Amino acid sequence: MNAARAIRLVFARELKARMLTKANIISLAIMLTLIVGGTITAAIIKDRSDTVPTVHIALDAASADLGPYLSTTAKQAGIDLALTTMTQADARALLDGTAAKGLTKDAKAALPKLEAFVGGTDASPVVIVGNPNDGRLHGIISGALQTRALDTAVTAMGGNLSSITAALAQAEPAFEAIGKTDAQKYGPAYGVAMVATILLLVTLITSAQMIAMGVVEEKSSRVVEILLATIRPTQLLAGKILGVGAYGLFQVVFLGAAAVGSLVALGLVASVPINLGWTLALLIMWFILGFTIFALLFGAFASLVSRQEDIGSVTMPLTLLVVGPYYLAVFLVPAQPDSTLVRILSDIPVFAPFMMPMRSALGTVPVWEMGMAIALAVATIPAVVWVAARMYQRGVLHMGGRMKFREALKKVS
Amino acid sequence: MTIVATLGLEVDALNKSYGAVRALNDCSFDVKQGEVFGFVGSNGAGKTTAMRIMLGVLAADSGEVRWQGRPIDAEVRSRVGYMPEERGLYPKMKVGEQLIYLARLHGMSREDAVAAVDRWTDRLGVGARRGDAVMKLSLGNQQRVQLAAALAHNPAILVLDEPFSGLDPVAVDVMSAVLREKADAGVPVVFSSHQLDLVERICDRVGIIRSGHMEAIGTVDELRVTEHPQWRIAFGGDVAALRTWIGTVKGVRTLSLDALPADERGSRAAGAGASDDTVVFEDDGTRPGVEQEVLKGAVARGTVREYSLVRPSLADLFRDIVSAEGVAA
Repeated sequence: MNAARAIRLVFARELKARMLTKANIISLAIMLTLIVGGTITAAIIKDRSDTVPTVHIALDAASADLGPYLSTTAKQAGIDLALTTMTQADARALLDGTAAKGLTKDAKAALPKLEAFVGGTDASPVVIVGNPNDGRLHGIISGALQTRALDTAVTAMGGNLSSITAALAQAEPAFEAIGKTDAQKYGPAYGVAMVATILLLVTLITSAQMIAMGVVEEKSSRVVEILLATIRPTQLLAGKILGVGAYGLFQVVFLGAAAVGSLVALGLVASVPINLGWTLALLIMWFILGFTIFALLFGAFASLVSRQEDIGSVTMPLTLLVVGPYYLAVFLVPAQPDSTLVRILSDIPVFAPFMMPMRSALGTVPVWEMGMAIALAVATIPAVVWVAARMYQRGVLHMGGRMKFREALKKVS
Repeated sequence: MTIVATLGLEVDALNKSYGAVRALNDCSFDVKQGEVFGFVGSNGAGKTTAMRIMLGVLAADSGEVRWQGRPIDAEVRSRVGYMPEERGLYPKMKVGEQLIYLARLHGMSREDAVAAVDRWTDRLGVGARRGDAVMKLSLGNQQRVQLAAALAHNPAILVLDEPFSGLDPVAVDVMSAVLREKADAGVPVVFSSHQLDLVERICDRVGIIRSGHMEAIGTVDELRVTEHPQWRIAFGGDVAALRTWIGTVKGVRTLSLDALPADERGSRAAGAGASDDTVVFEDDGTRPGVEQEVLKGAVARGTVREYSLVRPSLADLFRDIVSAEGVAA
């Protein structure tokens, strides 16, 4: 049988076995829900912070002089104020809902909006609020009342409150925040880069684990002996990696497209200052490069053990090799995106898949640097193929205890 | 061409060591086309190692496996029907899908694979389970599926490690018939088994392996020919007197009945439990024709109901060789 046909058959079986298992369909659905749900939540939060809230306050005729003070305090609090004049009885009826009783839906909608009423005398003001938990109302109204009382007192002493306020305003220092959070510094690009990096981590780890589990499943069920009586170990490993890789790529494209799609659908694209299509393309490319390297290594390492429960310990160094660069990408890159350390690390094949997309999302990476990182990763692959094939060929038929690395790397006799 | 056709499968001087353990020691045998070859030996004697080397799953330290005069390559290997000692199938994959996949890996087209899998699963009695995951089947049925996996791709050579273990009598009959049929179609069939009665019944030739070396090879009848033939007389008359007289004849010696297998101790005519009418003696080979002299003497002394050569069963031969191993070890 020719190699291409053997690899194609193994590939098709792997892809089907991965795509159509219940567990994988469920986990894909959960990730899709998280991504779309997250985008929708982001859109809601953004809507809220974009619109300036309006507060409706009514004054009785005697308290009309409070109006300017309320306007000032509301403005300081960044709230739009709508002032009306009505009697305390009318206001109370509106606030406690008796005014709306027995009215049609349209008539209810036509009632004036009201959140608070201020009346009474200067000495003993009466404040009625609809929602006792609304801290904004409390702040605006008590601020206005205090300012009016202060103004009255200052005027009585022959002073002028506006000049005092102006003097106070001048004395207020202008704060400049030096320590910004990463999210503040980079804005929405940071969020997109984080999502992309997490997506890369999750898909790389799950696909690499799938390879490891697939290799050990064949060993522990001994089906590998039948397979290897007809095809070569390298063909089996290649078909498996391509099959699982195709599924992983499908995950990246599907979930990445879901993220980009929901951003576009919710009209959030304008608020993201980076090119989403480009980010997705880079993500896919780094997934392919990262996956090729990690899948080969995970497959080779897993072939050293014969039981599912030994996978964790044998692939531990590899897991660190994935998670370590991920943490560096998430914490080191935003902290010092242009430092020499980051620039050197992000060229190294294992680090590049995580650090390069992060760097290009947070700033600009020179084309030659990106090219070099890609070239180095591509150049590493043949060496990894060689090591992995060697380990796998020896390990995969070794039953029983764990095979030593040194033993596995010996020449196949 | 006839020479090539009879060459079949040759296993030539295989050696294999696992560290200090010598699994195969100059192991040689051959299986002609159209022949069923039984491979017997105690546990750990090297049967599985030899079979794994034949399939290329394991590499020999030295020696060669040839098919029709040429070393076995990947092309030939894909035409071998192999059943490993450790059964192996994907537990979660459906029976039909899995068998089709394996048949296609052996080079069959999809259509041929589907037809062959239908045919073999029906024949082996698991046709109704094609849509079930392998792990849902009983062990015996998984075994049948494993056999179907070895047979579905219409192999040119069959190498089966313990194909009968775990099968019920009906499945054993089906399997024996299949092996015979394959051999009649010109396929060399090698299988290992501890069910020696079965091996005796089915095999054209048998090889007994001990400590990695082929100790005895031949047809069952050839193997049964012993250096010192033993004869049994079922006698009507004074058995004690006959025994005493035979003891005086030169070139023979009488044997205790305990040395015989249980079913050889009595005369067949009298049935089991009639062992007290039987005398057994061994020809030491120094006087050709001595058995005729004993027969004449016996006839002169009473009624000879039965006079026959005691033929050791395969189990006896096997025990002999295994006990020799015990002495050697």
